[in-house]
Parts: sequence; structure tokens; C-alpha cells
Amino acid sequence: MNPETHRIEKLPIEMFDGQALKKLVEAGLLWLRANQQTVNSLNVFPVPDGDTGTNMVLTMQAAYKEIEQLGHRNIGQMASAISQGALMGARGNSGVILSQLWRGFARALHGVEILDGPTVARALAEARDTAYKGVVRPVEGTILTVAKEVAAAAEIAVRESNDPIAILERLVKAADAAVQRTPELLPILKQAGVVDSGGKGLFFLLEGMLRFLRGEPLDAPVAVVQPLSALKLEDAMETIEPGQDFEVVVDFVPYRELDLPAFYQRLEQMGTSIQVGEGDGLYRMHIHVPTEKRYEPIDYIMELGTVTKVAIENLQAQVNGLDRNQSPGRIDLAAVEPGQIAVVAVSPGVGIARIFASLGVAAIVEGGQTMNPSTKDILEAFENLPTDKIIILPNNKNIILAAQQAKEVTVKQVEVIPSRNIPQGLVAMMHLNPDGDLKQVAEKMTRALQDVTAIEITTATRSVEIDGVAVETGQVIALIDGKLAVAAATVEEACLRALEAARAAEHELITLFYGQDLTAAEANRIADLVRAAYPNQEIELQDGGQPHYQFIISVE
Amino acid sequence: MKIGLVTDSTADLPRELCERYDIQVVPALVNIQGQSYEDGIDISREEFYNRLPRLIPPPTTSAPSVGSFQQRYRKLLDSGCTAILSIHAASSLSGIFNAARLAAEEFGQRVHVLDSGQLSLGIGFQVLEAAEGILHGLSLNEILERVERIRRTVRVMAMLDSLEYLRRSGRVSWAKAMIGALLNLRPIVELRDGVVHRLGQARTRLQGIRRLVEAIHDLAPLERLAILHTNAESAALALMAEVKDWVQIQPFIVNVTTAIGTHVGPNGLGFAAVPVRG
Repeated sequence: MNPETHRIEKLPIEMFDGQALKKLVEAGLLWLRANQQTVNSLNVFPVPDGDTGTNMVLTMQAAYKEIEQLGHRNIGQMASAISQGALMGARGNSGVILSQLWRGFARALHGVEILDGPTVARALAEARDTAYKGVVRPVEGTILTVAKEVAAAAEIAVRESNDPIAILERLVKAADAAVQRTPELLPILKQAGVVDSGGKGLFFLLEGMLRFLRGEPLDAPVAVVQPLSALKLEDAMETIEPGQDFEVVVDFVPYRELDLPAFYQRLEQMGTSIQVGEGDGLYRMHIHVPTEKRYEPIDYIMELGTVTKVAIENLQAQVNGLDRNQSPGRIDLAAVEPGQIAVVAVSPGVGIARIFASLGVAAIVEGGQTMNPSTKDILEAFENLPTDKIIILPNNKNIILAAQQAKEVTVKQVEVIPSRNIPQGLVAMMHLNPDGDLKQVAEKMTRALQDVTAIEITTATRSVEIDGVAVETGQVIALIDGKLAVAAATVEEACLRALEAARAAEHELITLFYGQDLTAAEANRIADLVRAAYPNQEIELQDGGQPHYQFIISVE
Repeated sequence: MKIGLVTDSTADLPRELCERYDIQVVPALVNIQGQSYEDGIDISREEFYNRLPRLIPPPTTSAPSVGSFQQRYRKLLDSGCTAILSIHAASSLSGIFNAARLAAEEFGQRVHVLDSGQLSLGIGFQVLEAAEGILHGLSLNEILERVERIRRTVRVMAMLDSLEYLRRSGRVSWAKAMIGALLNLRPIVELRDGVVHRLGQARTRLQGIRRLVEAIHDLAPLERLAILHTNAESAALALMAEVKDWVQIQPFIVNVTTAIGTHVGPNGLGFAAVPVRG
């Protein structure tokens, strides 16, 4: 335990100032980051989707960055800066709600210099209220419920004690209980066999603060084993740290039961981004290590069991490769003049960005299922346009809130079209009239969203049964308008069955946008199968370039 | 006072109306593979549209000669007309108005040549308004006023099957830019005061028809309505079925003339409408 931790530990809550809050935020962020993958794995649908853990970490990171250099002790000002940072850095729905919690918290602390118990309770209540108001239709069994339970616990806790540890213990306990109850409140969670990810993230944030006050370590992840299918190794790429040059993945069957804490402890001496998965007795270990230590994890694991597979990859080369894949190339965006309506579209792939641009989109924000743009990213796109009239197409259900938040922040006139997928965004573009009345055009674009059915084809990231569809890890699945509809052995089977389920035969046009994981030849072959199955429909094949999703299909 | 009425084939007026009102129609010319055809006379629309996509080089159009207008004007004046009203395709899109204007110079004040700023029934409704005015014995000035009102209020919109023909026509600047669209689009256009405006686009025919229905709905109540198509009769009937119950007038369906079809291509669908004076 370091002495500084001790010092804060001894302080009664009345002595809490801005610097103390800053430390708590840092602690919460560190702990959340340590548990990021655990939160990410709590995904209802077995799809590579906007990862809640990553989104919340990035949001808190932006909040912390805002206050990192702040030296003043005024807690009201500190909270306000945190709120500002979170607001701009908010990504994904959970990130936006988290930023709203901070906003309410900061509002209650306005003009406050030193925190006291009643103020904590008041601030958490205000945080709860602001978060609920930040969502059009609040749903229970989510991060909102957890925030509500935390606020309720705070009211009691501050009456019983003024010891920060005792208070935080109550809050963490309440958060944990609320998280455990989320499947009872939200049936989809129960079906998927998970607790709510945003709520869990909030729990880790509070637990990190508590661990800090108790002097417990924050940088090590808890020794956890995820289901093998929940390991999302490609996402670990986002958090490559300097010096960690190689990614090592080892599959093994241990000789005897694994001593997890000891296992983690040894691995932590070697590298970072440690993840351990298990399925049917087979373990998979993932770690990022410096060049000179690249064989160490393998040697170590060989002592523990039978190694069945080893994969070593040069991370820097991978990162460069990623950059190459995602280089936007030349995209001819529509030129808008002051007074005209400009459309900003969020796009997950270069091909799709090009298509949006060719339809008259004036700015592209990169992002999509796996990488949700922040409020700030969206805001910057607004600010860089030469006009004050802006329409934004989020094209993803997890980006709509951030878009709305960006609208609240800017002085420009913005209309958010709640497009939940790419086909909806494209069909809305059919109604763009740059010289029209902003509200009227937005209304027409919004009405058009229902003109199209969207099918998304991807590979299941874990086994689950939802809405009567049983999915095995690695199967190809199809979502129709965001609902799991088909699990199949191959991409073509998934496409054809999903088209049938979407009643494609009763429509005119099927457009297939193929992702970066498919070659043009393979996409063409599947498009030919679709053509043969739907001789009366127009079939269009386009290079979408999106990651993770082999096809995005629009039926209209 | 007897007023003669002249228009050109791009007004798309059905033959029986021209006969009933004694409207003189000067045909534009469509040039197909080295041969000139008189629009609406030498070649049937069905035949033309069926061949259009495969015609290489693509057909072109030309205005009737100044002489052919002079002939018509002289004939009308010889038969006792004291004035002639000659209403033609938008001068920004076609040389027809200019040919008529040059022809009229020879006859001084007796021939009034009007730039309709329109095409198809966008012209046709102005001509019909004039014809009815003549029938009711209105003065030339009264008739000109009425025609001007139609010119101001008539709305012509269409969904084209592709941009290719419009782009090839070279008469619409944005069409060239829009051909860069990576998706197949059906542009939705409006002709206003001789300028083709882009209202948006549709991906499917059904979406396009819905847009046209919405537009007609927004313009209603109407005093005149024509459903226009370029060899897309079934789509025209579908549009008719969507609107006939509430437009309260009997619209007519027109397979648009070859001189316009050359520049918009087959399978287009649209309408010309005059809202009730309000």
C-alpha cells in the first residue's frame, strides 16, 4: 500500500476536494480498463458489436484527459471538467449515458468546493435524473437501473457514515446487486444468459474507486476465464501499448486444474492485454509481449499442460496492415455551400463511405459496429462543414445517442435521422434535397427508413439461443432489422435463408454490400446464387469494405 | 377576330384534342441512324422506345425548320386568322422556340410566340387553356393572361429509369456529376421554368411511384392532371390507380413523344398537374 493511498483513506468525506475526485476518476478508469474485455463479452447478440467496455473506457479516458493537468482543489470545477471531457468523448449508448451521469453529478456540485455526505447523495440523485432524461425511452435492467440503485444506496449510506470507504462499499454493493438483477428486468439479457454490460461497467468504475481507497491494486485484471468464444482477440489490437510488439496466443490443455491467480501473476510479468478463455477443457491464452519475451509465455505454459497450438504475430505489422485496409483512399465528398443542408454519415467501410459520398454526403465519420465514434468525432464533422444546417445519419443503433448528444452541444441546426443500419442510411439519402427546408427534408428522410429491410451477415462470437434461434460459436448468422433470424453453416446459406425470411421475393431490389473479409470473386459467386434464386428481382453487388460483416444486404 | 393556335409535337397533346380545338402541331425531328423522322408521325412511340436502348449511335433530335413554321403561320393567316398564338417547348432545352420566333418575324405583330418553359403536358396544358379561351371568345390579352397563369402554376415531375439519357443529352449540368453515383438510381426530377431540378432519387420503382403520389397529393386539389410515361404503361396505370380515387378529375395517360424520350429514356414515369387556383 502506498502512503498516499493511506492518506486519502483516513480522510473523512468532508475533506474530499477536486484532487481527491481526480484520483478516484483515475482509479475508476484504470479498473474499468482492466476489466474492459469482461464488459465487452457481455453482448446480447453473438455479433461483433459496439463493445460496451471499450466505449466506456474511451469515454472515461476522455474525461480523465480533461482533468489530468488540472491542479485546482475546487471539486465543483473538477466535476464540471470531468463532465465536459466525458460529454465530448462519449461513445456508444453506454458512453453517452455515462457522460450524462457525470453531467448531472457535476451540475449538483456546481459552486461546491469540498464534498460532504449530503452533497454526494444529491449529486448521485441528480446524476440518475440526468441520465434518465438523456434517453428517449428509458429501459430498466440497464446502466440506468444500476445508477438508480446507487443513488438510492447513497442516500442511506451518507446518513449512516461519513467514512468514504464505508459509503463507497455501500454503493459498490448496491451496484453489484443491481447488475445481478438486470436479467430479471430485461428478458433479452436472461435469454442471452448475460448481465447488462453498461451496468457492469458502472459497477467496475465504482469498484475501482473503492479498491483505490482500500489500497488494492488497479492495474491487474482479475484472474478471469471467459468462455472461449467470448475472447475477442482482434479487439485487443485497439489497445496495443508501446513496447508490446508481439501477440502470442497459446491453446493448451492443463495437466491439472489451473491456479488462475498464479497463472495471471506470471503472465503479468511478461506482458499486457492478457486474456484467458476456456471451452471443453481447452484453454486459450492471449498476451502482448515485447520482442525479447515472445517465447516466454509458450515455455511457461508448456510446464502447465499440453500445448496444442501456438500463434505468434508481429503486432506492428498487423497494425500497419489494418491501416492499409482502412485507408480511405480518395472519397469525393459532396461540396456544400453556406445555407445548404449537409449530410454527415457514419460509415464502417471505405466502400460504403464512397457510396454515401456519391449520393451527396458531405462528411464521413468512420465507425460502425465495432468502433463507435465519440460525440467529439461527430461534433468535429459538424463544425468543419461550411453550413449551419446539418443532417446526421448514425447508421447504427449504438451511435444514435452520441449523435443526439453532438446535436445538443453544437450551435448549428442539426437533425438526427435515427438510421439503425447502412441500408436505412442509404434509403434516407434518396430524399436529400440540399436546398430544401431542413425540418421537412429530415422528416422525409426519417419516414423513408421503413422503406427498406436490412440483413446483416456475420460470424457468431459465442453460442447462445435468442428468439428461438440456436447459435453455435463460429456459425454464420443473419440479423434481419437487428433481430437474430438465421444460423447457418456458410455465408451463402445464411444469405439465402435470410433473404427468404425477409420475403425478398415480394420486393424489387436486393443490394449486397460485401465486407473486407470476402474477396470480390467470392462475393460475386454468392451474388450469382442470389441472382439465380431471385430471377425477378434486381440484384446489385457493391464493395462495402466493412469489417466483421461478410455482407450487409438491403431489400427494398 | 379569329385566333389561330400552334404548338409543337413535344406538347404531347392527344390527337383528338388537337382536332377538337383545331390546334396545329408542328412535329420536331428525331434522327435515328442517319434518317430523320417526324416526331409522332413517322415512327410509333412503342417501336421507338423498344429500339432506343440498343440504338448506336443514340438518336438525336432537331427542331422543325423555320420554314415549316412559316408555312403553318401563312396557312392560318390565309384562312382568315387575325392573330396566331404559338406555344413551344422550353427555349433552354430546345431550339423549337427559336425556330418559331424566327419564323414569326416575317409576320410582325400577328404571331405571338410563347416560351412555355416546359415540356410535354407542361406545354400542353398551356395550349389547352388557350384553346378553351379561344372557344369562349376571349380577347387575345385575356387568353395570354390565362396561359401565363398556367405557365406559372403547372408542375411537371418525373422519375427516370436511369440518368444515362439525361446525361447524354448534355442539357442538364448536374446529371453529369450524378452519374458518378455508385448505386443504380432512378432520379426524380422536376422541370421548372426551363430548368431541370433534381428532387432526389429512388432506388426502386415502387419508392418512386410513392414519391410521385405524395407530390400529387401535396398539389391537390387539381384542375388538370396528366400521367406521363415513356413506354411504361403498367407503371402509369399503377400511378393512376393510386390517385384516381381522390384527384376528382379524370387524368389522361400519355406515352411521351419520341423527341422527349430521346433525352429521358424509356421506363420513365411522371405527371403534369395544374393545381386549382387558390
